[in-house]
Amino acid sequence: MRFALTEDQVALRDAVTAPLAAGDWDALAGIGVFAAMTDLGLDETDLVPVLEEVGHAAVAAPVTATAFVAAPLLLALGDDRAAAGTLRVAVAGPGGLTPFGGHADLVLHLDGGTARAGGARVKASTVDISLDAVASTAGEVLTDDPALVGAAAARAALGHAAELVGLGRRMLELTVGYVKQRHQFGAPVGSFQAVKHQLADAYLGLEFARPAVLAAAWALREGAGAREAVDGAVVLAADAAHAASRAAIQCHGAIGYTVEYELHRYAKRAWALAALATPGDRLDALATTIGLPKEL
Amino acid sequence: MKIVVLVKQVPDSGADRNLRSDDNTVDRASASNVINEMDEYAIEEALRLQEAHGGEVVILTVGPDRATESIRKALSMGPDSAVHVVDDALHGSCAVATSKVLAAAIAQQGADLVICGAESTDGRVQVLPHMIAERLGIAALTGARKLTVDGTSLTIERQTDEGYEVVTASTPALVSVWDTINDPRYPSFKGIMAAKKKPLQTLSLGDLGIAAGEVGFDGATSTVVEHSKRPPRQAGNKIDAGDDGGSKLVEYLASEKFV
Repeated sequence: MRFALTEDQVALRDAVTAPLAAGDWDALAGIGVFAAMTDLGLDETDLVPVLEEVGHAAVAAPVTATAFVAAPLLLALGDDRAAAGTLRVAVAGPGGLTPFGGHADLVLHLDGGTARAGGARVKASTVDISLDAVASTAGEVLTDDPALVGAAAARAALGHAAELVGLGRRMLELTVGYVKQRHQFGAPVGSFQAVKHQLADAYLGLEFARPAVLAAAWALREGAGAREAVDGAVVLAADAAHAASRAAIQCHGAIGYTVEYELHRYAKRAWALAALATPGDRLDALATTIGLPKEL
Repeated sequence: MKIVVLVKQVPDSGADRNLRSDDNTVDRASASNVINEMDEYAIEEALRLQEAHGGEVVILTVGPDRATESIRKALSMGPDSAVHVVDDALHGSCAVATSKVLAAAIAQQGADLVICGAESTDGRVQVLPHMIAERLGIAALTGARKLTVDGTSLTIERQTDEGYEVVTASTPALVSVWDTINDPRYPSFKGIMAAKKKPLQTLSLGDLGIAAGEVGFDGATSTVVEHSKRPPRQAGNKIDAGDDGGSKLVEYLASEKFV
């Protein structure tokens, strides 16, 4: 297994940064992001680096859910609108809590081997208001093919993990830039161990999470050990993004708490996505896999 | 119509750029290299012409081996093929020598229309389009903010400080463009996947019938003999907001003839 990105994967990743920064859904559709897995024959390993950029940009639209989760699932059901980018699809999380549900054309519920379209939506409150979250109820059944639905649910979880790595990287970049600029006691604060060790730890966490995310993408593509790989990727990415957010806020000093400064956007997005990806349940599942008793 | 688009790889103008300390040429090895920004507009204009009138779009680059990255990026926007002139002897070439190489490669391609950016962000001399047209004996429609093609007739709006001039010519011709002419497209995923399968021809100076001594440092009509870093900005005057702060401020403004 080789995790270094190919030239093509790097080019695909770099191609989305400008339209993501502009928050331009139509441009993303135009370059074929939503059709990547359907028309272009790209797979999970090609998309994961792109999704890390989606997280990095903290874009306020269901790009990952539409491109990575819905497009292949709906195409298998004969509906190509998600792949064309003309249908914005959000994916419901635990309890029907759905990021970007407020302006999605379709909410997907992926539970227990059944995919359902969302029914009634009620505006929901999350830490990140840019998520435009709703509580959605599950409506009509779209498919109960367990293989299709299981793969879509795994992609949804992996999509969160990839975005979390991107969010963590964004917070780390912002903080490294800040601590090089901010002086105290006649030196940049980033030169002090109390600051730089925290950020080095945050960097390590992200660097360890990224290969796990790529490995999970590979496992999903190959259909081998995918559940454990995805669970592990989610746990590592959520932990790494949490650690990066804590270090980022701390190392920014008081400005890290203000809403006028952009850091809170990435921190809150990371907390919300980490909660939706249920790392605790996944850690429990991994514990069961290695034979640990359920209750100690 | 066969359109040749000139594409140059340059150090990213958004990052730190330097000249080399040993020979005063642009330091490309340590820079983050990208397609010259204006050239993306040239590519876009060529692709729009191809979409409207058919024909073929060929990328032409003179540059070191690593310029291949920029050529692939250019191809991912949609052109059909590329020609890369790469030769160690080219290092240190001036604009006059570079125009000789580009003109020879264009002549070999047999282009109806050459489109290029009005300037590169590293050299910024703006003379290459005119030199190439002169060498090829074709019309130079430079500094375009709009290009219209009707058969073999070309019309541009030539951007000036005061407004624009309407200039016409017939093919074969060269058009250089400013960034006001269009909005370049993003490379698509499909284009990226297709780019590596597109023909990329590599040519040496010998293939163009140019001797090594005509280009590079030996053939240069101008060379950079010395360079130094821009001096750091001087600290400005600080006037304390004390009792006489107001009068000191007025004194300063008066001394600079602002009041």
